[in-house]
Amino acid sequence: MFDLALADYFAWLRSFFEYVSERETSIMLRESQYVMPWVFVLHVISMCMFAGTILMMDLRLLGVGNMATPFSQVQRRLFPWQMAAMFFSAATGLALVWGNPMNYVTNIIFWVKMLAMGIAGLNALAFHFITEYTLVDWDAGETPPFGAKLAGGLSILLWANVIVAGRLIPYALTWFRTY
Amino acid sequence: MYEYFAAIANWGPSKAINESSWIFALVQAFHLVSLGFLAGSLLMVDLRLLGRGFSQQPLATVARDARPWLLGSLVAMVLTGVPQFISLATKEYDSPYFRWKMLMLLIALIFTFTIRKRVAYAPEGRFGGGIGKVVALVSIGLWTSVAINGRLIGFFS
Repeated sequence: MFDLALADYFAWLRSFFEYVSERETSIMLRESQYVMPWVFVLHVISMCMFAGTILMMDLRLLGVGNMATPFSQVQRRLFPWQMAAMFFSAATGLALVWGNPMNYVTNIIFWVKMLAMGIAGLNALAFHFITEYTLVDWDAGETPPFGAKLAGGLSILLWANVIVAGRLIPYALTWFRTY
Repeated sequence: MYEYFAAIANWGPSKAINESSWIFALVQAFHLVSLGFLAGSLLMVDLRLLGRGFSQQPLATVARDARPWLLGSLVAMVLTGVPQFISLATKEYDSPYFRWKMLMLLIALIFTFTIRKRVAYAPEGRFGGGIGKVVALVSIGLWTSVAINGRLIGFFS
């Protein structure tokens, strides 16, 4: 039992990525000269829209930005843009992985990014289901409570982590040895 | 002109960035984080101009709130952009996308700190809603083209 390598626990994941890489659509994406660069471009543009609207909400939660507007208004007004941008980021991101799955399956920085995204999602849910119930007490106030500041601060750190890790994915090949 | 770019690329700090295995990567990564803040601070005002939110606050108030983040993220963009440029100066010289990016950046900056600023800080009702919408769309278009050309530098040069 103890001679199993970590990779063995993820054999199913690897075989799924292999399955994807053999799909005709995956091969088409991989072999196209111009499609992938433009998907990268669209991924960056949707990231701007997503990170931009998320970060502006987080600054309000932290109590350091956009203070003239009550939090509930910042949240409500940005929400549709955040969701639309999340959809486009996810769609373009999925296309990038779909076209080159074997580049990502053994890439530790890619998985750090995925993990950070997951935790950022949990952070948002925790805020929604716990701290947001106290909203009436501090909505327009200058100093949000600790729970709100924590959610905003964590969100900024986690999404910055997602962006940084995303940009560093190609460097995993030179920084870490992959087997 | 090329000699100046070559001189920049041969400068000690430029070479040091090139020889390091991580400085360029981290600078690039934080260029993107700054881009997130920049996009957000621009969108707060542009969405308000488009009539897509924050209509209960005066436009100038929304703009004043966004201002420190706009200026701060622009400074961060320059601080993380210059090291990338100096280390690749001779490549950037040949890149049409770099030239487009710099041109669009110049136009976007001038537009943002003249026309857009004037409209954003004008007394309520001074400019019609139609003008605000055009200004917002031009702002989004200009800054998007800066980002698109920026990303393309890395692919085709």
